Amino acid sequence: MTADTATARSRGSLAAEMARARRRRYRAFIGRLFAHRSFLLGFVLLGGIVVLAAGANVIAPYNPDQNDYHSFLAPPSAAHWMGTDEFGRDVMSRVIFGTRVSLRIGLGVVVASGILGTLIGALAGYVRWLDGALMRCMDGLMAFPGVLLAIALAAALGPSELSAIVALTVTFTPRTARIVRASVIVTKRMLYVEAALAAGAGHLRVLFRYILANTLSPLIVQLTFMFAVSILAEAILSFLGVGPPPPQPSLGNIIAGGRAYIQEAPWVTIYPGLAIACAVLGLNLMGDGLRDTIDPRLRTVREPR
Amino acid sequence: MDHSNRTSRRNLLAGTALAALAAALPKGAAAAAGGEIIFVQGSNPPSLDAMSTSSQASRNINMNIYETLYGFSEHTAPIPILAETVVVSDDGLTYRFPLRKGVKFHNLKEMTAKDVKASLERYRKVGATSNLLEAVKSIDITGDYEVTLTMHQATPTFLESFCSPRAPAVIIPEEDALAEAGKTSIIGTGPYKYVEYVPDSHVKLTRFAEYSQDTRMPDIDGFGGRKTAYLDTVTFRIMPEPGAQTAALEAGEVHIVEEISVPAGKRMEKNPNIKVYKNMPWAMLTLIMNLDVAPTNNPKFREAVQVALNMEEVMALATAGFYELDHGWQYKGTPYYAGDIGKSYYNQHDVARAKKLLAEAGYKGEEFSILTDSNYTEHNKAAVVIAGNLKAVGINAVINQVDWPTALKIRLQPTGWHGWTLMLGIEPYVGPVALVSTFTGKRPLFVKNDRELDVLYQELVIGKTVAARKVTFAKIQKRLYEFFGIIKLGDTGQMQAARSSVEGYRPFRFPRLYNVRVKA
Amino acid sequence: MLRFLVRRLLSAIPVLAVVSVVTFLIIWIVPGDVTAEIAGPDATPAQIVRLRQELGLERPLLERAMVWYGHLLHGDLGRSYLLNRSVAAAVIERLPVTLSLVALGLLLSVVMGMLLGILAAVRHNTWIDQAATSVALLGLSVPDFWFGLLLIVFFGVQLHWLPTGGFVPLTRDPVGWLRSMTLPSLTLAFTQMGVLARMTRSSMLDVLGQDYIRTARAKGMQAWVVIFRHALLNALIPIVTMVGILTGVLLGGAVVVESVFSLPGVGRLIIGAIQRRDFPIIQGGLLITAATFVFVNIAVDILYGWLDPRVRDDR
Repeated sequence: MTADTATARSRGSLAAEMARARRRRYRAFIGRLFAHRSFLLGFVLLGGIVVLAAGANVIAPYNPDQNDYHSFLAPPSAAHWMGTDEFGRDVMSRVIFGTRVSLRIGLGVVVASGILGTLIGALAGYVRWLDGALMRCMDGLMAFPGVLLAIALAAALGPSELSAIVALTVTFTPRTARIVRASVIVTKRMLYVEAALAAGAGHLRVLFRYILANTLSPLIVQLTFMFAVSILAEAILSFLGVGPPPPQPSLGNIIAGGRAYIQEAPWVTIYPGLAIACAVLGLNLMGDGLRDTIDPRLRTVREPR
Repeated sequence: MDHSNRTSRRNLLAGTALAALAAALPKGAAAAAGGEIIFVQGSNPPSLDAMSTSSQASRNINMNIYETLYGFSEHTAPIPILAETVVVSDDGLTYRFPLRKGVKFHNLKEMTAKDVKASLERYRKVGATSNLLEAVKSIDITGDYEVTLTMHQATPTFLESFCSPRAPAVIIPEEDALAEAGKTSIIGTGPYKYVEYVPDSHVKLTRFAEYSQDTRMPDIDGFGGRKTAYLDTVTFRIMPEPGAQTAALEAGEVHIVEEISVPAGKRMEKNPNIKVYKNMPWAMLTLIMNLDVAPTNNPKFREAVQVALNMEEVMALATAGFYELDHGWQYKGTPYYAGDIGKSYYNQHDVARAKKLLAEAGYKGEEFSILTDSNYTEHNKAAVVIAGNLKAVGINAVINQVDWPTALKIRLQPTGWHGWTLMLGIEPYVGPVALVSTFTGKRPLFVKNDRELDVLYQELVIGKTVAARKVTFAKIQKRLYEFFGIIKLGDTGQMQAARSSVEGYRPFRFPRLYNVRVKA
Repeated sequence: MLRFLVRRLLSAIPVLAVVSVVTFLIIWIVPGDVTAEIAGPDATPAQIVRLRQELGLERPLLERAMVWYGHLLHGDLGRSYLLNRSVAAAVIERLPVTLSLVALGLLLSVVMGMLLGILAAVRHNTWIDQAATSVALLGLSVPDFWFGLLLIVFFGVQLHWLPTGGFVPLTRDPVGWLRSMTLPSLTLAFTQMGVLARMTRSSMLDVLGQDYIRTARAKGMQAWVVIFRHALLNALIPIVTMVGILTGVLLGGAVVVESVFSLPGVGRLIIGAIQRRDFPIIQGGLLITAATFVFVNIAVDILYGWLDPRVRDDR
């Protein structure tokens, strides 16, 4: 047995040991997460919505696009548990299918702004000469109050699911970028990063392997809240007529269509609103749980709408 | 000429019969004056310069402020308002308008021929429908109180067009007539005068105490007649949310709501404090095709669309239950109504026939993109139902719902859309010429001209009598049901509601807030 | 302090420059223009070209942008296409509405949020904590316009307690003003108070855990005195930053709430301008609201520096 193979083996067993430890930590983390009461509640709420969305074809009692001009705006009954809408379509089926669009938009925004925000934040935090320019742009985008920028963009891009995602991504990416940048700046000064650089590790490797890995926790918490806000924002865009267009149901455009009859047929407005509340509450609870579990002292400012 | 004769004879009668009546009444019947009415509408008026806009939100307000020389009666016949009458020369080339004397503008200046000439000259420049004066060669002052219009050629339908309230040719003071569009001082001769406009909040009018009442008639008649402003103030409140509008009415915060949803109307009919008014017909809901692109450039395909549609379903859902099924391109009961022509194509919902026609058309599943907007619920709801009907016969229908300005931009493009849902409200109301003019000219609604329709339009315009024009219009309707460039879906109604305390309100093309009282 | 102030004020310039460039980009990509509103659906292409020429819309965007920036340097934001007044006048006449709404909304959400937060922190890990946290979270989880519509139906129509919409100026009728602003500001506050409630809760928990509070308690000081005199004052610092962010959020929320309650505010002005393509109002309105947001945050920074001198020296 040569010295080389011995080190290799010991290196191998060390790596295996580390992997085991990582798995243990991971399992413990998941255990703590689910022991967290609000995370669990949120998980159940959101899980319910996800199940509805995924199994819509099976769960929904009717075709959500089936008009019936003999019984539009009919109140809840045995045949239609949540009544019918202004086209005589089954509200419950539309709510069930509507969760799909809402979740897709939320997920789309999370993925897109997660990637973009990380790139911009990492560049700003790591490459000093880019910092000023990038962050001034982000500040500029953040200076538009609330969802006003998203509304303007969605109007400009035309109502569609994709433009809703683009509009919300542009609106929310600066917030993601800010968090990533802050985290990168802190991590960059850490000894082990400097050590890795001194040992000749490339910048890209250092950025991805050491620095971004550390920004993951605050990022996940942030993105969970962003998911929630995107679902609400879709409803607002629909309310203002720039959300996903008909006939495909989204939770927002069901409300938008039914709100003219809020007194005569409140069921068309109330049920999708409650579905939104469930999904968003679920996400908010999960975000809270994640934050508490990952790092109780973490000061992620929850991004309000 | 039919119009001049009819109107002047009628005025003569009205004048003699009513002079005595007018003398017997207290002047202006101002005894019961007082109070305030708050009228709710959904959107801001784009302008209070009546000539420059054809928007309904503006017209609602403007027609209480301004008046025209001539306007339509209740039954859409031209009647004099600020004019005494009109005398048309035998060759049909000159229209002499003697004016009513002593008519005061809101700035208390008396209206003279100078103001009228200046107003009409301005209309040719900034009028939103300035083409209605296209036939006019010159506008001349032929007396202190008389204006004469000279035509390029005899245009028997001129007076009808001139009465169009779409973007009315109102009379304003000479000083205002030089102002650019939208920059006038908002002075008219109407029973109410302008006080303030706070966008997104309200427009406030107040009674014009020196209003020069038209005493030739016993009562209001269409856009004219004997108008009396009983109310001290009239406020047009702008409220975008339909739910909030009805809520405000039920809470007694406002008096009249311009348009309520049909379910709301049905609910409120049971409320003793509220009276529901029905205005039917109000507009024609249509599906316009783009004749310039495939597959809608194929008449067989368009015919397939026509027979595939279930008009009852489209109309019931688009209007939430307040509609009339009618195939005619003029409203039922109006002089030009063309009877059963085309009826056999209307409301067929014939899947087999549609499929057969599609096969004959050689349709291969090309996209049929329906352009619609999110602003008018009738438009986008109709699009949804139409798409459903068309999918059922195998047409690859998709909905392109955008906002109103985008829709109007796209429809001007030669490509990018196949169908477009649109309500035509005022054009069919004004008459066949106004309606058919949108089917011809440089850019017809369906993009490409139909030679036969163009010829028929010319025939319509020069038709000397109503009877002659009626014959031509019947041919036009026949042609419309041969080439299917525009499909009539049905007639929509307008449901309005008011507090029971509002007396004398009669729904019309705009809310006439004169001759209306409110009980304390 | 002065240098700090000047530096912060100067930092607003690039931010607002970005805002105006983004606004121009939006106007550049948005399809359609104001002629739709003015000329209507059956306008001919010739009519539309004529209107566009009159409004200067036929000129290239870059040229329009240059003219706009030139005027901006002279403090002129241009004129609305539709409202027959200057952009500045259109915004200024609506400020009382939006300021009323945002101020009352802020007040209500601070009061409600902090009460919930304090309650939750003081009764940490009890059912009261749970209930307070849930209410705060629920507010954050419902769409604001939806909640507003429900309030209108319930308080306006069913109970007849409050008006369903519209604005009464404070100067004309203070009681009417308060009545007209109650439901809108409640909507705004309910959907935003959660942020402050959580912030208050967690910073209170931090402070309550500190030694000096425990000492104060041990010395027998009354519980509520401890909470208000010591704990709350210290917890206030992070909350103040939050108020800065919240102002922006409330400005955004006001956009929607103004539409629901038919309030003629700045938010509805901008939304209406977007919907009708009144470009000067979009440009000017967005710039003014963004500037408001930026300057409120500068004010918050200054306040923050005053509350906690370490921050000022740090920067």
